[in-house]
Amino acid sequence: MDSRRLLTILLAGALAWSLFSVDWDRDLVHPGGFGSLADILAALFSLDLSPSFLKVALSASWTTVAYATAGLTLACAIGLPLGIVASGSLGRGIPARLAGMAAVRLMLALLRSVHELVWAWLLIVAIGLSPMAAVLALAIPYAGILGRIYAEVLNDVPEAPLRALRASGASEVGVLLYGRLPMALPDMLSYTFYRFECAIRSAAIFSFVGVRGLGYELQISLDDLLFEQVWTLLFFLVALVVLVDLWSSSVRRSLTS
Amino acid sequence: MNSQAERGSGERPRIDVPRTSAAGFVALAIVSWIYIVSGDSGLWELFTVETWKEAGDFLRRLVGLETDGTSAFLDAASWKKALRLSVETLAMSVLAAGIAGAAALLTFLPGARNVGFGQSGGARSRVGVAAFFVTRGAFAFTRSVPELVWALLIVFVLSPGVLAAALALAIHNYGILGKLSAEVVENLDPRPARALRAAGAGWGQTLLYALLPQVLPQFITYLLYRWEVIIRTTVVVGFVAAGGLGREFRLNMSFLHYDDVGLLLLCYLFLVVGVDLASAGLRRLAR
Repeated sequence: MDSRRLLTILLAGALAWSLFSVDWDRDLVHPGGFGSLADILAALFSLDLSPSFLKVALSASWTTVAYATAGLTLACAIGLPLGIVASGSLGRGIPARLAGMAAVRLMLALLRSVHELVWAWLLIVAIGLSPMAAVLALAIPYAGILGRIYAEVLNDVPEAPLRALRASGASEVGVLLYGRLPMALPDMLSYTFYRFECAIRSAAIFSFVGVRGLGYELQISLDDLLFEQVWTLLFFLVALVVLVDLWSSSVRRSLTS
Repeated sequence: MNSQAERGSGERPRIDVPRTSAAGFVALAIVSWIYIVSGDSGLWELFTVETWKEAGDFLRRLVGLETDGTSAFLDAASWKKALRLSVETLAMSVLAAGIAGAAALLTFLPGARNVGFGQSGGARSRVGVAAFFVTRGAFAFTRSVPELVWALLIVFVLSPGVLAAALALAIHNYGILGKLSAEVVENLDPRPARALRAAGAGWGQTLLYALLPQVLPQFITYLLYRWEVIIRTTVVVGFVAAGGLGREFRLNMSFLHYDDVGLLLLCYLFLVVGVDLASAGLRRLAR
């Protein structure tokens, strides 16, 4: 059978199966759910823009940025060495190194398989609720992703300059430092900046396990049914993400052009 | 970097974006670390024996080495429940991907700059330009708000359950898929559409026979990639929207049933790996 037709059938089948998992007979909407929806939408036109609340939102935004940045830098610091080992650019052929490479790849996969909020929760039970737990929880899965991408980028650099380095007597470490890394750096930087946007969003939801930031304020406002504040905080979050997105895409454009 | 050389020597050097950005990021990182460490950060507690002892205790209970009664790993009823919830979680992720994909497929077109501004067929119209900004704004807004926050809002309206969770996941991914597919349209080869129009095809025909055939394979690939992200996030959304593994995870965490948590984590890992493999296989079919 034509592979595209097979794909269509598989995707349609999966979607149909998933629809059956919803219990359509039960009340899908709360009693009073439409009332809340109306309240939420009405609040959009009466945003809370009082100076005192704007100050709260601004300081929460900064906290979120700080967690995201700290987490991402730690992720780079963990991901770079792991990525180098996983790329096998420290030399191949020796069975011990090959085993090390496979082990690191498996570890990277394990790190990134678990969502950062699940990591956060596990870490908080393990080491206690603290800002460091949040930074670590962000850094662990992001190190898994960055490490894998770094490994791929390091593997994809053109071979010819590396051969030239080897011919002139450079060791594998020399080839890595003066050949692979400088050539891979633009792509690595570009991907890391792309992840910055995601890190902001991730940092915003750590509130759920009790860490401060935009999500924390959002949850307080939601608990008090203050939808005017909820919308203001949402717009702060959107503005933050869009700003970081603009920054990171301008970096990526200038690196790839 | 190359572009600067190409621009020639007559022009004044412009801002070196990568270099200033890297410097800016390093500065931001330093300030952030100072901000976090200067407070009650818990950084120094990481280097104490008690912390590691407690972490070790937790880990032992997580893998079922230290339990009150039978460990969940050896209990048939726990396994049965975990498997049922895994299937439910899988269904949630598929439903979320399906809703997001369908919504994005229906609305991505006005979000492409070349369509909205009338560069690919049709005249440039105010409506097209307005539709471009509205669509792109909707993509940016839905994408900027994380799934969990959407879930927190949605449970005010919908009863907690599979649909609420899937919808929260779908809204966020709709923004991502919409943006990505609009960008695909912007980077399309314009020649097939031009050829069709020259042969007298109308706008609808150009869409059906030139645009969609080029966009769809890429769209399906993105959708499958997002499915891999969605399955990881379904658990998190389940914390609040009460569906699948997430709810059970939350309950067992608060009851301190850490061996049950370990079992759920194991199922979670299998789901993630399974979806990654399935997505890779399906992506090969799309090529």
